Amino acid sequence: MPQNEYIEKSIKQHGRRLDHDERKRKREARQVHKDSQFAQKIHGLKAKIHNKKRHSEKIQMKKTIKMHEEKNANQKTGDAVPEGAVPAYLLDREGQQRAKILSNMIKQKRKEKAGKWDVPLPKVRGIAEDETFRVIKTGKRKSKSWKRMVTKATFIGEGFTRKPPKYERFIRPMALRYKKANVTHPELKATFQLPIISVKKNPQSPMYTQLGVLTKGTIIEVNVSELGLVTTGGKVVWGKYAQITNNPENDGCINAVLLV
Amino acid sequence: MSQTLYNFKRIHPVPTSSDFVDIVLSRTQRKTPTVVHPGYSIGRIRQFYMRKVKYTQETFEEKLGLIISDFPQLDSVHPFYADLMNVLYDKDHYKLALGQINTAKNLITNVGKDYVRLLKFGDSLYRCKQLKKAAMGRMATIMKRQKDSLGYLEQVRMHLSRLPSIDTNTRTLLICGYPNVGKSSFMNKVTRADVEVQPYAFTTKSLFVGHMDYKYLRWQVLDTPGILDHELEERNTIEMQSITALAHLRAAVLFFIDLSEQCGYSIETQLSLFNSIKPLFGNRPTLLIMSKSDAKQLEDLPEETQNMIKEIENSGAAKLSRLSSYLDTGVMETRNMACELLLQYRVDTKLKGSKIKENLNKINLSMPKKRDSVQRPSFIPEAVIGKQRYDMNDPNRRILERDIEAMSGGAGEIDEDEERIIKLAKSIRTKKQILAQQSRLKNNVNRPKVTNKIRATKLTAQNFADKLANKDNLDTINNTASNLLSTSAKRKRSLSVANKGLGDELARMGTNSGAQFEQRAVSVSRSRVDAGLKNSSMLDTVMKKHAKVQRKSNLLAKRGESDRQILTKMPKHLFSGKRGNGSNDYR
Ligand SMILES: Nc1nc2c(ncn2[C@@H]2O[C@H](COP(=O)(O)OP(=O)(O)OP(=O)(O)O)[C@@H](O)[C@H]2O)c(=O)[nH]1
Ligand SMILES: [Mg+2]
Repeated sequence: MPQNEYIEKSIKQHGRRLDHDERKRKREARQVHKDSQFAQKIHGLKAKIHNKKRHSEKIQMKKTIKMHEEKNANQKTGDAVPEGAVPAYLLDREGQQRAKILSNMIKQKRKEKAGKWDVPLPKVRGIAEDETFRVIKTGKRKSKSWKRMVTKATFIGEGFTRKPPKYERFIRPMALRYKKANVTHPELKATFQLPIISVKKNPQSPMYTQLGVLTKGTIIEVNVSELGLVTTGGKVVWGKYAQITNNPENDGCINAVLLV
Repeated sequence: MSQTLYNFKRIHPVPTSSDFVDIVLSRTQRKTPTVVHPGYSIGRIRQFYMRKVKYTQETFEEKLGLIISDFPQLDSVHPFYADLMNVLYDKDHYKLALGQINTAKNLITNVGKDYVRLLKFGDSLYRCKQLKKAAMGRMATIMKRQKDSLGYLEQVRMHLSRLPSIDTNTRTLLICGYPNVGKSSFMNKVTRADVEVQPYAFTTKSLFVGHMDYKYLRWQVLDTPGILDHELEERNTIEMQSITALAHLRAAVLFFIDLSEQCGYSIETQLSLFNSIKPLFGNRPTLLIMSKSDAKQLEDLPEETQNMIKEIENSGAAKLSRLSSYLDTGVMETRNMACELLLQYRVDTKLKGSKIKENLNKINLSMPKKRDSVQRPSFIPEAVIGKQRYDMNDPNRRILERDIEAMSGGAGEIDEDEERIIKLAKSIRTKKQILAQQSRLKNNVNRPKVTNKIRATKLTAQNFADKLANKDNLDTINNTASNLLSTSAKRKRSLSVANKGLGDELARMGTNSGAQFEQRAVSVSRSRVDAGLKNSSMLDTVMKKHAKVQRKSNLLAKRGESDRQILTKMPKHLFSGKRGNGSNDYR
């Protein structure tokens, strides 16, 4: 025992008080009631947080109980259908399985029919121009108002140089420019941070596409060379399309789903 | 030599990552405004949320910064502690954890900055709120990733704070040797450390510190876990603690060997350990201590073993000593021997060091020679030589007032010669006044300026006392004093209260001129009505004329020069130009 562990030392030398175990047991037994009291009393945000925590705890508890039960329970034998000659009353089971395959096939067909531009977010909310552009007043008396500032996230390509401020109609602020997007691969179920190459299409209007405005539903081209995807021909794919799934101006980041 | 005592107990507790987030977010909630409405101007809304983000970021930074600054930097602590921490907590792991905390701090700073920048473009309450939420969420995520580092640091903190506080610079005795040879028993004999003693190996598993006194100095005794004789790489954490102490502390090394072999290790193995770790001792004073001398003495051993031990002594590697903690023989002798050796060693190293020259130059022992044969004894006045030292119990002592009082029957019993007592009291009071005046004159730092005329009279406390003693002169004193008080305005203020008392006292002493001292305690500015007028009749005429001039305008309730007036409501020079109206008073 190290030198300064005085509590442990005392316990070792003098032992615990005689009713220590009894008290401990009682405290533990009472704890359930105390928790319940607490849960009934709290309200508001704290209640919300507490309930969420409790909920996940309970799920965990149930899972562990079930795991223990599984050990005890008699397991049903896996594949009851014998091989070889099959009695008639069992034939329909096989049929069922086949039906499942069929329905899957139909689904697949439907998907293919839907066309190449079937994207995760087929519909987007319309965005008015005055929501996207803020009017900037210019002139000595601040009487002119032909200048606009884009208040949404934008992507601006490498070689962009500003026009002289006097002639610049659209200002795209530095703070709202993005170069990278968090792209989720829907099949791998993994997310990567990839550099944006270009804005392919903004569903709101072609002008937005031209300006590189990034809103929910916009199709962007991302650089996937990091992922090491290969075409059927064996070439490394480096540009792929992805659709933005969040409102970048509200979240401060760009989330997108890779279109595969 | 700088005395750096490390206090690892001061490190603040490190909360777990989820607690950390809770602490910071609830603090933000408590310390920032909570009410905002969509109707507010957008600037105000933005400012509201920016403040929240900024505050959260700063709180995180502060708390993480505290962790980083609290934990000792391995490079800056004493190498003993650095090595000990390396042994106990693994240096790489420790540095990595602190490094990760530092990166987390930087990341949070960046997130905060980014989102404040984004908030500047927020155009609605909803958008601002979403941005705030995203910012806090990202900070919380960064913290969540620090779960392991924070947990590890908390463990380190708890262990570190329980570490015995070892001073790396003081006089130290270091006890080492094989396990179970009686190290802790000796430690318990010489200090009050109360280390566990058991008849099996590795009872002591960490460093123990005890303190003792020798030659009125404070000494530190360090009990270490036992070490076995094998390679450094094979040593475990327990043994490494001893090795660290051996390597870094400037101490007297007491190497224990058990001649009786009750410990379970042969004398040969114990001696071979001594030889293998000898390089670690350097030239520090080393003692080879044969413990358990009650069980077996050196003389009882076979010739070869005796020779081995003697050889070590002869080679000068160590001094021999024997003791028995059971019989309490040789314990104190051994301790004193070790202490003496260490003291000698410390003095020697100091003399060898480079710093000593600077100090030796400063030391000069002067031995003055006799100038001539003239005697120059110290001067004692005649009066003093005749005087006797006052002694309460001497029957021939001087008679004091107290004795007279006692003779006439105890406290308060003054019967005969009341006149004399009153006179005495008066003289005491006067003396007191003089003393007070003296100290006041001395203490008055910003002494008031005294005009030349008065300075010529040299009014010092001594003068004042002389004059007080001489009753005939009292009038002149009063005059000069009042002169002094009235001529200098400053003095009048600073001393007025005291003067009042002084005046009273003088009055009581029988001089009727005390009234001159009646001054007001509070300073009052002089009325300026009669400024520049020769006498009171002149003042009268002036007042009359003044009243007459005002009579007409007063009758008509006209504006006078003392009425408040604003001549120009908006001065042109303040309200023209491009800036906001009236925001500045210079253009
Ligand atoms: N005969 C005899 N036995 C002693 C003496 N001093 C200690 N012992 C016994 O030696 C055994 C070990 O003593 P400790 O003081 O625990 O030895 P240690 O060197 O601290 O052991 P570790 O902490 O395990 O390294 C105990 O059983 C003591 O009773 C002594 O002077 N004479
Ligand atoms: Mg021990």
